[in-house]
Amino acid sequence: MSTRSYRSLFRNMPPLRGLLPLLLLLLVWQIVQSGPSPYFPAPSEWWSAALRLSRREQLLSAFVSTASSFLVGLMLAAFIGASLGVAIGSSRRVARALRPLLEFMRSIPPPATVPVAGLLIGYNESMKIVVIVLAALWPVLLNTSAAVDQIHPLLRDVSRTFRLSARERMWRILLPSIIPGLLLGIRVAIPLTIILALLVEMLTSLPGIGALMIRSQRNFQSSEVYALLVLVGLFGLFVNNAFLILESWLLRRWPPRA
Amino acid sequence: MSEHGVQLRINGPGLLTVLVCLLAWEVVIRAALVQYDYLPAPSAIAAGLAELVTTGQLAADVGHTLLAVFLGWVLAVTVGISLGMMMGLSPTLRAYLLASVEVLRPLPGIAFVPVALLLFGFSLRTELVVVVLPALWPVLVNVMGGITGVHQRLFDVGATFRLPRMTLVLKILLPAALPSILVGMRLSLTLALVLAIVAEMVGNPNGLGYAIIRDQQALRPDLMFANLFVIGVIGITLNAMLMSGMWLLFPSAASMARAP
Repeated sequence: MSTRSYRSLFRNMPPLRGLLPLLLLLLVWQIVQSGPSPYFPAPSEWWSAALRLSRREQLLSAFVSTASSFLVGLMLAAFIGASLGVAIGSSRRVARALRPLLEFMRSIPPPATVPVAGLLIGYNESMKIVVIVLAALWPVLLNTSAAVDQIHPLLRDVSRTFRLSARERMWRILLPSIIPGLLLGIRVAIPLTIILALLVEMLTSLPGIGALMIRSQRNFQSSEVYALLVLVGLFGLFVNNAFLILESWLLRRWPPRA
Repeated sequence: MSEHGVQLRINGPGLLTVLVCLLAWEVVIRAALVQYDYLPAPSAIAAGLAELVTTGQLAADVGHTLLAVFLGWVLAVTVGISLGMMMGLSPTLRAYLLASVEVLRPLPGIAFVPVALLLFGFSLRTELVVVVLPALWPVLVNVMGGITGVHQRLFDVGATFRLPRMTLVLKILLPAALPSILVGMRLSLTLALVLAIVAEMVGNPNGLGYAIIRDQQALRPDLMFANLFVIGVIGITLNAMLMSGMWLLFPSAASMARAP
């Protein structure tokens, strides 16, 4: 990676003084309400609640199970979505025949599939993955099939002129053309994937951060609820930004997107 | 695409695919080829839908969910446009707020459910908190981006004509930023529906989100699938209504806002 694109990555970052309002809010919160409270416990209480949770060894294992469902589900969705997207995008006729069905399935809010999957599969780890994949599939599928559809006709002619084998066509033309769309699809799918993993954990007793959050709320452990909220927020922040960096690194040799 | 962007041509092969799938589903269940006790045939789902309609349950659930989606969306759009305009217009405000927005934005909406439950209990207010906070960001970010993306030359034109600041905003900035504002509003509406369903499943026991949980616990998969079908129809209808509304009100901006 050239230093130029690293620098552009940092130039796109908003100035750090923009964090002041958030820090100020937390500071005022800490001063106004400096102890435990059933509704607005002080930020220092969140910290000690987090320490308490991690001492009981639940925090780490819950975090690991949420994060691993997230990763496995996202990777499966990327693979299945890209394969289906290529299949659908390769033929206008197939795309047209499947469009109404896919449009309808896509427009069902993914969380609504959780009870259905619970009834059909039962509440277990594989159901969690199925639900995540069903949600994260659509953005990947749609962006990949759009990318295949937009491959310039000239490239097809070039591959015919050079008599490329099917394998060469795949590696030299198809994959390079779909990767930007595929990555965009994954980026859109990431927040959905986190939401679904947490929702399944909240609705069932499957181990994870979601289950921990609901349990703390039911026990009125408000400081634990806030601590877990911050943890989930940091996880989302980290995953989103890590993927942005990964994406711009992977796309460093592609022409900039219009 | 017709000129209003709504597809009026009948997609014959597409409808045929849907019918074939439904028929295959019906046959597989009738012939007992799969052993799923809780997978009803499409005919049973249709009967369940009829039952929901006649008892009036469906109207009540749809009414509640639509109310929550609409209230949440209007709140999110109002706050999002105001904040987004201010941050788009003032570089100082942007410098002192943007990083906070970027830190809060990736917070998954569902994580607010336990906090909202703690503060407001099982109520519509809980649902609104869960809907509004996440649905705010697409509007805010797109409005801000739309305004900062306005070409410098348009500002120069405003200066040349010595337009008062208010006129500059209303006559030049808003129209120029309109396509991205519309994109933000559309993304936010989709998100509002998803989050209302989530909030009803875990937070506020009302509406369609709670209905599918209730049907699941009552072991009535026919009703559950019927409700799922209705949710899908609502998703499509809301999006189509918003799109055609945009086309009627702002034809030129809507054509630019079509790409997501």
